[in-house]
Amino acid sequence: MKRTTLFDSGYQWIVFGRDPNKAENLIDTNQYMIRTANRCLLLDPGGTELFAPMLAAALHYAPVEEITDLFASHQDPDIISSLGLWDQALPEAKLHAPAIWEGFLRHFGCNRIEYVPIEDAGGTIDLGSMELELIPAHYLHSSGNFNVYDPRSKILMSGDIGAAIESHDAPMFVEDFSEHVEKMRYFHQRWMPSNRAKNDWIKRVRKLDVEMLAPQHGRIFKGDDVERFLDWFEALSVGGAVQV
Amino acid sequence: MKTNTERKKSQFVSVASIATELSDVMVVAKEISLAAANAKAIAYRAGEKARGFQPITDFINELARETIGLVNQINEQASELYETTVSEHRHEEANRQFKAVLELGSDAAYVDSLFPIAGRIEDELGEKRHQLKSQVDRLLDQLSEIMHPARAARVIAANSRIEASQAGEFLQSLLTVAESVDKAAELMYTNVQRCRSSMAMMEL
Ligand SMILES: [Fe+2]
Ligand SMILES: [Fe+2]
Repeated sequence: MKRTTLFDSGYQWIVFGRDPNKAENLIDTNQYMIRTANRCLLLDPGGTELFAPMLAAALHYAPVEEITDLFASHQDPDIISSLGLWDQALPEAKLHAPAIWEGFLRHFGCNRIEYVPIEDAGGTIDLGSMELELIPAHYLHSSGNFNVYDPRSKILMSGDIGAAIESHDAPMFVEDFSEHVEKMRYFHQRWMPSNRAKNDWIKRVRKLDVEMLAPQHGRIFKGDDVERFLDWFEALSVGGAVQV
Repeated sequence: MKTNTERKKSQFVSVASIATELSDVMVVAKEISLAAANAKAIAYRAGEKARGFQPITDFINELARETIGLVNQINEQASELYETTVSEHRHEEANRQFKAVLELGSDAAYVDSLFPIAGRIEDELGEKRHQLKSQVDRLLDQLSEIMHPARAARVIAANSRIEASQAGEFLQSLLTVAESVDKAAELMYTNVQRCRSSMAMMEL
Protein backbone atom coordinates (compact mmCIF):
# COMPACT_ATOMS: atom_id res chain seq x y z
CA MET A 1 0.00 0.00 0.00
CA LYS A 2 1.38 3.40 -1.00
CA ARG A 3 1.81 5.88 1.87
CA THR A 4 1.95 9.61 1.22
CA THR A 5 2.25 12.35 3.86
CA LEU A 6 -0.04 15.28 3.00
CA PHE A 7 0.71 17.53 5.96
CA ASP A 8 3.38 17.46 8.63
CA SER A 9 3.48 20.24 11.17
CA GLY A 10 2.93 19.22 14.77
CA TYR A 11 0.72 16.38 13.52
CA GLN A 12 0.40 14.49 10.26
CA TRP A 13 -2.11 13.70 7.57
CA ILE A 14 -1.22 10.54 5.70
CA VAL A 15 -3.03 8.97 2.75
CA PHE A 16 -2.89 5.23 2.02
CA GLY A 17 -3.96 3.81 -1.29
CA ARG A 18 -3.04 2.34 -4.65
CA ASP A 19 -2.72 -1.10 -3.11
CA PRO A 20 -0.96 -3.21 -5.75
CA ASN A 21 -2.22 -6.46 -4.18
CA LYS A 22 -5.88 -5.44 -4.32
CA ALA A 23 -8.17 -7.70 -6.37
CA GLU A 24 -8.92 -6.37 -9.87
CA ASN A 25 -12.67 -6.23 -9.34
CA LEU A 26 -12.58 -4.07 -6.18
CA ILE A 27 -12.76 -0.30 -6.56
CA ASP A 28 -9.52 1.37 -5.44
CA THR A 29 -9.88 3.50 -2.31
CA ASN A 30 -7.92 6.13 -0.41
CA GLN A 31 -7.70 5.77 3.34
CA TYR A 32 -6.59 8.68 5.49
CA MET A 33 -4.90 8.91 8.86
CA ILE A 34 -4.43 11.84 11.19
CA ARG A 35 -1.55 11.22 13.58
CA THR A 36 -1.23 13.48 16.63
CA ALA A 37 1.33 13.03 19.42
CA ASN A 38 -0.62 10.28 21.13
CA ARG A 39 -3.77 9.61 19.13
CA CYS A 40 -4.79 8.60 15.62
CA LEU A 41 -7.93 8.93 13.58
CA LEU A 42 -8.51 6.72 10.55
CA LEU A 43 -10.89 8.21 7.99
CA ASP A 44 -12.94 5.86 5.82
CA PRO A 45 -10.72 2.91 6.77
CA GLY A 46 -12.04 0.76 3.92
CA GLY A 47 -13.52 -2.61 3.06
CA THR A 48 -12.88 -6.00 4.64
CA GLU A 49 -10.42 -6.91 1.90
CA LEU A 50 -8.34 -3.89 2.80
CA PHE A 51 -8.17 -4.41 6.54
CA ALA A 52 -4.84 -6.26 6.69
CA PRO A 53 -2.87 -4.00 4.31
CA MET A 54 -4.43 -0.94 5.92
CA LEU A 55 -3.60 -1.87 9.52
CA ALA A 56 -0.12 -3.02 8.45
CA ALA A 57 0.42 0.39 6.81
CA ALA A 58 -0.90 2.25 9.86
CA LEU A 59 1.57 0.38 12.08
CA HIS A 60 4.38 2.25 10.33
CA TYR A 61 3.10 5.40 12.07
CA ALA A 62 1.53 4.36 15.35
CA PRO A 63 1.13 1.48 17.78
CA VAL A 64 -2.30 -0.07 17.62
CA GLU A 65 -3.38 1.27 21.04
CA GLU A 66 -2.90 4.83 19.79
CA ILE A 67 -5.45 4.35 17.02
CA THR A 68 -8.26 5.74 19.13
CA ASP A 69 -10.79 6.96 16.59
CA LEU A 70 -12.38 5.89 13.33
CA PHE A 71 -14.54 7.96 11.04
CA ALA A 72 -16.97 6.65 8.42
CA SER A 73 -18.33 9.29 6.04
CA HIS A 74 -21.22 6.99 5.14
CA GLN A 75 -22.36 3.38 5.20
CA ASP A 76 -20.88 1.96 2.00
CA PRO A 77 -18.93 -1.31 2.10
CA ASP A 78 -15.86 0.27 0.49
CA ILE A 79 -15.87 2.78 3.37
CA ILE A 80 -16.28 0.61 6.44
CA SER A 81 -17.13 -3.05 5.85
CA SER A 82 -13.87 -3.72 7.74
CA LEU A 83 -15.59 -2.53 10.95
CA GLY A 84 -15.96 -6.02 12.42
CA LEU A 85 -12.19 -6.52 12.21
CA TRP A 86 -11.35 -3.09 13.64
CA ASP A 87 -13.73 -4.03 16.42
CA GLN A 88 -11.33 -6.87 17.26
CA ALA A 89 -8.20 -4.78 16.84
CA LEU A 90 -9.31 -1.62 18.65
CA PRO A 91 -11.69 -2.59 21.44
CA GLU A 92 -11.31 0.83 23.11
CA ALA A 93 -11.81 2.95 20.01
CA LYS A 94 -14.66 5.22 18.95
CA LEU A 95 -16.38 5.19 15.58
CA HIS A 96 -17.71 8.58 14.47
CA ALA A 97 -20.36 7.95 11.84
CA PRO A 98 -23.73 9.33 10.70
CA ALA A 99 -26.44 8.81 13.30
CA ILE A 100 -28.92 7.53 10.72
CA TRP A 101 -26.62 4.65 9.75
CA GLU A 102 -26.02 3.26 13.24
CA GLY A 103 -28.46 0.35 13.00
CA PHE A 104 -27.10 -0.48 9.55
CA LEU A 105 -23.39 -0.19 10.26
CA ARG A 106 -23.75 -2.46 13.27
CA HIS A 107 -24.40 -5.27 10.78
CA PHE A 108 -20.67 -5.13 10.01
CA GLY A 109 -19.97 -5.96 13.68
CA CYS A 110 -19.49 -3.22 16.29
CA ASN A 111 -19.55 -4.80 19.75
CA ARG A 112 -16.58 -3.26 21.54
CA ILE A 113 -16.02 -0.06 19.56
CA GLU A 114 -18.19 2.82 20.77
CA TYR A 115 -20.48 4.18 18.06
CA VAL A 116 -20.53 7.98 18.31
CA PRO A 117 -23.47 9.13 16.18
CA ILE A 118 -23.08 12.30 14.11
CA GLU A 119 -26.36 14.19 13.93
CA ASP A 120 -27.55 15.65 10.61
CA ALA A 121 -26.28 19.16 11.38
CA GLY A 122 -22.68 17.95 11.76
CA GLY A 123 -20.35 18.42 14.71
CA THR A 124 -16.72 17.91 15.65
CA ILE A 125 -14.22 15.20 16.42
CA ASP A 126 -12.02 16.06 19.37
CA LEU A 127 -8.61 14.43 19.24
CA GLY A 128 -7.38 16.16 22.39
CA SER A 129 -4.68 18.33 20.86
CA MET A 130 -6.81 19.20 17.83
CA GLU A 131 -10.39 19.42 16.69
CA LEU A 132 -11.90 18.52 13.34
CA GLU A 133 -15.14 19.85 11.85
CA LEU A 134 -17.76 17.52 10.46
CA ILE A 135 -19.33 19.13 7.40
CA PRO A 136 -22.76 17.83 6.30
CA ALA A 137 -22.65 16.43 2.77
CA HIS A 138 -25.95 14.56 2.73
CA TYR A 139 -27.10 12.88 -0.50
CA LEU A 140 -23.58 13.17 -1.93
CA HIS A 141 -24.01 10.39 -2.57
CA SER A 142 -25.31 8.81 0.63
CA SER A 143 -28.39 10.17 2.37
CA GLY A 144 -26.41 10.48 5.62
CA ASN A 145 -22.92 11.69 4.73
CA PHE A 146 -20.20 13.92 6.19
CA ASN A 147 -16.87 15.47 5.20
CA VAL A 148 -14.05 16.12 7.65
CA TYR A 149 -12.44 19.56 7.62
CA ASP A 150 -9.22 20.41 9.39
CA PRO A 151 -8.92 24.22 9.63
CA ARG A 152 -5.20 24.11 10.41
CA SER A 153 -3.95 22.00 7.53
CA LYS A 154 -6.91 23.22 5.40
CA ILE A 155 -7.54 19.67 4.24
CA LEU A 156 -11.12 18.70 3.44
CA MET A 157 -11.61 14.93 3.35
CA SER A 158 -14.55 14.84 0.97
CA GLY A 159 -15.53 11.14 0.90
CA ASP A 160 -17.04 10.20 -2.46
CA ILE A 161 -17.22 13.84 -3.62
CA GLY A 162 -14.45 14.42 -6.13
CA ALA A 163 -14.01 10.69 -6.59
CA ALA A 164 -12.54 9.38 -9.81
CA ILE A 165 -12.17 5.86 -11.11
CA GLU A 166 -8.46 5.42 -11.70
CA SER A 167 -5.90 2.72 -12.33
CA HIS A 168 -4.09 1.46 -9.24
CA ASP A 169 -0.83 3.16 -10.22
CA ALA A 170 -2.28 6.65 -10.82
CA PRO A 171 -0.49 9.56 -9.08
CA MET A 172 -1.93 10.82 -5.77
CA PHE A 173 -2.59 14.38 -7.01
CA VAL A 174 -4.52 15.88 -9.89
CA GLU A 175 -2.00 17.15 -12.42
CA ASP A 176 -4.14 18.23 -15.35
CA PHE A 177 -7.63 19.19 -14.22
CA SER A 178 -9.28 19.24 -17.63
CA GLU A 179 -7.95 15.79 -18.36
CA HIS A 180 -9.10 14.54 -14.95
CA VAL A 181 -12.70 15.69 -15.44
CA GLU A 182 -13.63 12.76 -17.66
CA LYS A 183 -12.66 10.28 -14.91
CA MET A 184 -15.15 11.95 -12.55
CA ARG A 185 -18.11 12.87 -14.73
CA TYR A 186 -20.02 9.59 -14.87
CA PHE A 187 -19.47 8.83 -11.20
CA HIS A 188 -20.88 12.17 -10.08
CA GLN A 189 -23.78 12.17 -12.52
CA ARG A 190 -24.79 8.61 -11.70
CA TRP A 191 -24.08 8.28 -7.96
CA MET A 192 -25.08 11.77 -6.80
CA PRO A 193 -28.87 12.08 -6.69
CA SER A 194 -29.62 15.73 -5.96
CA ASN A 195 -28.69 19.07 -7.51
CA ARG A 196 -30.14 20.85 -4.49
CA ALA A 197 -27.91 18.87 -2.11
CA LYS A 198 -24.95 19.48 -4.39
CA ASN A 199 -25.49 23.26 -4.39
CA ASP A 200 -25.94 23.33 -0.61
CA TRP A 201 -22.63 21.54 -0.17
CA ILE A 202 -20.82 23.86 -2.62
CA LYS A 203 -22.11 26.85 -0.65
CA ARG A 204 -20.82 25.38 2.62
CA VAL A 205 -17.41 24.49 1.20
CA ARG A 206 -16.91 27.89 -0.44
CA LYS A 207 -17.04 29.39 3.07
CA LEU A 208 -14.11 27.22 4.15
CA ASP A 209 -10.47 27.83 3.38
CA VAL A 210 -9.56 24.62 1.54
CA GLU A 211 -6.04 23.92 0.41
CA MET A 212 -6.59 20.25 -0.40
CA LEU A 213 -9.76 18.42 -1.31
CA ALA A 214 -9.11 14.77 -0.58
CA PRO A 215 -11.61 12.21 -1.90
CA GLN A 216 -11.96 8.53 -1.05
CA HIS A 217 -11.26 7.43 -4.65
CA GLY A 218 -8.88 8.83 -7.23
CA ARG A 219 -6.69 11.89 -6.87
CA ILE A 220 -6.39 14.76 -4.41
CA PHE A 221 -7.11 18.33 -5.59
CA LYS A 222 -4.55 20.92 -4.50
CA GLY A 223 -4.54 24.73 -4.58
CA ASP A 224 -6.42 26.18 -7.56
CA ASP A 225 -7.74 22.78 -8.56
CA VAL A 226 -10.02 22.88 -5.50
CA GLU A 227 -11.85 25.92 -6.89
CA ARG A 228 -11.81 24.37 -10.36
CA PHE A 229 -13.48 21.31 -8.94
CA LEU A 230 -16.18 23.36 -7.17
CA ASP A 231 -16.92 25.30 -10.39
CA TRP A 232 -17.06 22.12 -12.44
CA PHE A 233 -19.31 20.35 -9.92
CA GLU A 234 -21.59 23.39 -9.70
CA ALA A 235 -22.15 23.36 -13.43
CA LEU A 236 -22.72 19.60 -13.55
CA SER A 237 -26.26 18.29 -13.51
CA VAL A 238 -26.53 15.18 -11.33
CA GLY A 239 -29.19 12.50 -10.73
CA GLY A 240 -28.54 11.29 -14.25
CA ALA A 241 -30.26 7.90 -14.16
CA VAL A 242 -33.73 9.46 -14.13
CA GLN A 243 -34.73 11.04 -17.42
CA VAL A 244 -37.42 13.68 -16.90
CA MET B 1 -8.39 -32.98 2.46
CA LYS B 2 -11.18 -30.49 2.28
CA THR B 3 -10.29 -26.82 2.13
CA ASN B 4 -11.22 -24.65 5.06
CA THR B 5 -14.01 -22.92 3.14
CA GLU B 6 -15.49 -26.23 2.02
CA ARG B 7 -15.41 -27.54 5.56
CA LYS B 8 -17.05 -24.35 6.85
CA LYS B 9 -19.71 -24.51 4.18
CA SER B 10 -20.56 -28.09 5.03
CA GLN B 11 -20.74 -27.18 8.73
CA PHE B 12 -23.28 -24.47 8.08
CA VAL B 13 -25.28 -26.83 5.87
CA SER B 14 -25.13 -29.59 8.51
CA VAL B 15 -26.45 -27.39 11.27
CA ALA B 16 -29.14 -25.92 9.05
CA SER B 17 -30.22 -29.38 7.85
CA ILE B 18 -30.71 -30.53 11.44
CA ALA B 19 -33.51 -28.01 11.77
CA THR B 20 -35.20 -29.42 8.66
CA GLU B 21 -34.85 -33.04 9.72
CA LEU B 22 -36.12 -32.19 13.19
CA SER B 23 -39.19 -30.40 11.97
CA ASP B 24 -40.01 -33.61 10.05
CA VAL B 25 -39.49 -35.63 13.24
CA MET B 26 -41.85 -33.25 14.99
CA VAL B 27 -44.56 -33.86 12.39
CA VAL B 28 -44.07 -37.59 12.76
CA ALA B 29 -44.26 -37.42 16.56
CA LYS B 30 -47.52 -35.54 16.28
CA GLU B 31 -48.82 -38.20 13.88
CA ILE B 32 -47.95 -40.87 16.40
CA SER B 33 -49.77 -38.97 19.08
CA LEU B 34 -52.82 -38.74 16.82
CA ALA B 35 -52.62 -42.46 16.06
CA ALA B 36 -52.56 -43.12 19.79
CA ALA B 37 -55.74 -41.08 20.28
CA ASN B 38 -57.39 -43.01 17.44
CA ALA B 39 -56.35 -46.31 18.89
CA LYS B 40 -57.74 -45.32 22.25
CA ALA B 41 -61.13 -44.51 20.75
CA ILE B 42 -61.24 -47.78 18.83
CA ALA B 43 -60.10 -49.80 21.84
CA TYR B 44 -62.80 -48.13 23.90
CA ARG B 45 -65.48 -49.19 21.42
CA ALA B 46 -64.03 -52.67 21.15
CA GLY B 47 -64.35 -52.97 24.93
CA GLU B 48 -63.39 -56.33 26.37
CA LYS B 49 -61.97 -57.61 23.08
CA ALA B 50 -59.30 -54.89 23.04
CA ARG B 51 -58.48 -54.82 26.71
CA GLY B 52 -54.77 -55.46 26.04
CA PHE B 53 -54.74 -52.55 23.67
CA GLN B 54 -55.63 -49.81 26.17
CA PRO B 55 -52.31 -49.58 28.05
CA ILE B 56 -50.50 -49.73 24.74
CA THR B 57 -52.27 -46.61 23.50
CA ASP B 58 -51.30 -44.77 26.68
CA PHE B 59 -47.75 -45.87 26.15
CA ILE B 60 -47.73 -44.72 22.53
CA ASN B 61 -49.03 -41.37 23.63
CA GLU B 62 -46.34 -41.10 26.28
CA LEU B 63 -43.65 -41.88 23.70
CA ALA B 64 -44.97 -39.24 21.34
CA ARG B 65 -44.92 -36.66 24.12
CA GLU B 66 -41.41 -37.59 25.10
CA THR B 67 -40.28 -37.30 21.50
CA ILE B 68 -41.82 -33.87 21.11
CA GLY B 69 -40.07 -32.70 24.28
CA LEU B 70 -36.73 -34.02 23.06
CA VAL B 71 -37.17 -32.45 19.66
CA ASN B 72 -37.79 -29.10 21.31
CA GLN B 73 -34.64 -29.45 23.37
CA ILE B 74 -32.59 -30.51 20.38
CA ASN B 75 -33.93 -27.61 18.36
CA GLU B 76 -32.82 -25.19 21.02
CA GLN B 77 -29.36 -26.71 21.10
CA ALA B 78 -29.15 -26.77 17.34
CA SER B 79 -29.78 -23.03 17.20
CA GLU B 80 -27.13 -22.48 19.88
CA LEU B 81 -24.81 -24.60 17.82
CA TYR B 82 -25.59 -22.51 14.78
CA GLU B 83 -24.62 -19.35 16.67
CA THR B 84 -21.37 -20.93 17.79
CA THR B 85 -20.64 -22.04 14.22
CA VAL B 86 -21.11 -18.47 12.99
CA SER B 87 -19.01 -17.06 15.80
CA GLU B 88 -16.26 -19.61 15.28
CA HIS B 89 -16.26 -18.75 11.59
CA ARG B 90 -15.86 -15.03 12.45
CA HIS B 91 -13.01 -15.78 14.82
CA GLU B 92 -11.28 -17.89 12.22
CA GLU B 93 -11.57 -15.10 9.69
CA ALA B 94 -10.25 -12.54 12.20
CA ASN B 95 -7.35 -14.82 13.06
CA ARG B 96 -6.48 -15.19 9.39
CA GLN B 97 -6.64 -11.41 8.91
CA PHE B 98 -4.43 -10.63 11.91
CA LYS B 99 -1.85 -13.15 10.73
CA ALA B 100 -1.87 -11.31 7.41
CA VAL B 101 -1.34 -7.96 9.17
CA LEU B 102 1.66 -9.36 11.05
CA GLU B 103 3.11 -10.63 7.79
CA LEU B 104 2.40 -7.52 5.71
CA GLY B 105 3.55 -5.23 8.50
CA SER B 106 6.61 -7.23 9.49
CA ASP B 107 8.80 -4.22 8.63
CA ALA B 108 6.52 -1.67 10.36
CA ALA B 109 7.93 0.24 13.32
CA TYR B 110 5.02 -0.57 15.59
CA VAL B 111 4.21 -4.14 14.52
CA ASP B 112 5.00 -5.40 18.04
CA SER B 113 2.01 -3.52 19.43
CA LEU B 114 -0.24 -6.00 17.65
CA PHE B 115 1.21 -9.12 19.27
CA PRO B 116 -1.03 -9.12 22.38
CA ILE B 117 -4.16 -8.58 20.28
CA ALA B 118 -3.22 -11.24 17.74
CA GLY B 119 -2.50 -13.57 20.69
CA ARG B 120 -5.88 -12.83 22.27
CA ILE B 121 -7.65 -13.55 18.98
CA GLU B 122 -5.84 -16.85 18.60
CA ASP B 123 -6.82 -17.82 22.18
CA GLU B 124 -10.44 -16.88 21.57
CA LEU B 125 -10.46 -18.98 18.42
CA GLY B 126 -9.19 -21.92 20.47
CA GLU B 127 -12.00 -21.42 22.98
CA LYS B 128 -14.60 -21.18 20.24
CA ARG B 129 -13.36 -24.40 18.66
CA HIS B 130 -13.57 -26.10 21.99
CA GLN B 131 -17.08 -24.82 22.59
CA LEU B 132 -18.14 -25.96 19.14
CA LYS B 133 -16.80 -29.44 19.74
CA SER B 134 -18.58 -29.88 23.05
CA GLN B 135 -21.84 -28.59 21.60
CA VAL B 136 -21.59 -31.03 18.70
CA ASP B 137 -20.92 -33.88 21.16
CA ARG B 138 -23.89 -32.91 23.30
CA LEU B 139 -26.19 -32.74 20.33
CA LEU B 140 -25.01 -36.14 19.11
CA ASP B 141 -25.83 -37.54 22.54
CA GLN B 142 -29.30 -36.11 22.42
CA LEU B 143 -29.84 -37.43 18.95
CA SER B 144 -29.01 -40.91 20.13
CA GLU B 145 -31.38 -40.43 23.05
CA ILE B 146 -34.22 -39.62 20.72
CA MET B 147 -33.57 -42.95 18.96
CA HIS B 148 -34.92 -44.75 22.06
CA PRO B 149 -38.54 -43.67 21.72
CA ALA B 150 -38.32 -44.38 18.00
CA ARG B 151 -37.10 -47.91 18.67
CA ALA B 152 -39.65 -48.43 21.45
CA ALA B 153 -42.44 -47.30 19.16
CA ARG B 154 -41.53 -50.03 16.69
CA VAL B 155 -41.66 -52.69 19.39
CA ILE B 156 -45.02 -51.37 20.51
CA ALA B 157 -46.28 -51.47 16.94
CA ALA B 158 -45.36 -55.18 16.81
CA ASN B 159 -47.19 -55.80 20.11
CA SER B 160 -50.17 -53.87 18.85
CA ARG B 161 -50.47 -56.26 15.92
CA ILE B 162 -50.68 -59.19 18.30
CA GLU B 163 -53.26 -57.45 20.44
CA ALA B 164 -55.22 -56.43 17.34
CA SER B 165 -55.57 -60.06 16.29
CA GLN B 166 -57.73 -60.64 19.40
CA ALA B 167 -60.03 -57.75 18.60
CA GLY B 168 -62.46 -59.46 16.25
CA GLU B 169 -64.27 -57.04 13.96
CA PHE B 170 -61.94 -54.24 15.16
CA LEU B 171 -58.94 -56.11 13.85
CA GLN B 172 -58.65 -54.00 10.71
CA SER B 173 -58.84 -50.58 12.42
CA LEU B 174 -56.35 -51.55 15.11
CA LEU B 175 -53.99 -52.99 12.53
CA THR B 176 -54.14 -49.68 10.70
CA VAL B 177 -53.19 -47.88 13.90
CA ALA B 178 -50.29 -50.26 14.48
CA GLU B 179 -49.23 -49.77 10.89
CA SER B 180 -49.20 -45.98 11.15
CA VAL B 181 -47.24 -46.04 14.41
CA ASP B 182 -44.72 -48.35 12.82
CA LYS B 183 -44.36 -46.24 9.72
CA ALA B 184 -44.03 -43.04 11.74
CA ALA B 185 -41.40 -44.57 13.99
CA GLU B 186 -39.44 -45.79 11.00
CA LEU B 187 -39.52 -42.36 9.41
CA MET B 188 -38.36 -40.82 12.64
CA TYR B 189 -35.56 -43.32 12.86
CA THR B 190 -34.26 -42.51 9.39
CA ASN B 191 -34.53 -38.78 9.95
CA VAL B 192 -32.61 -38.86 13.18
CA GLN B 193 -30.05 -41.16 11.61
CA ARG B 194 -29.56 -38.62 8.81
CA CYS B 195 -29.15 -35.88 11.39
CA ARG B 196 -26.52 -37.87 13.18
CA SER B 197 -24.49 -38.64 10.11
CA SER B 198 -24.50 -35.01 8.97
CA MET B 199 -23.49 -34.01 12.51
CA ALA B 200 -20.73 -36.58 12.56
CA MET B 201 -19.27 -34.84 9.51
CA MET B 202 -18.95 -31.73 11.63
CA GLU B 203 -16.73 -33.37 14.18
CA LEU B 204 -13.44 -31.59 14.06
FE1 LIG C 1 -20.03 5.59 -1.35
FE1 LIG D 1 -16.68 5.24 -2.10
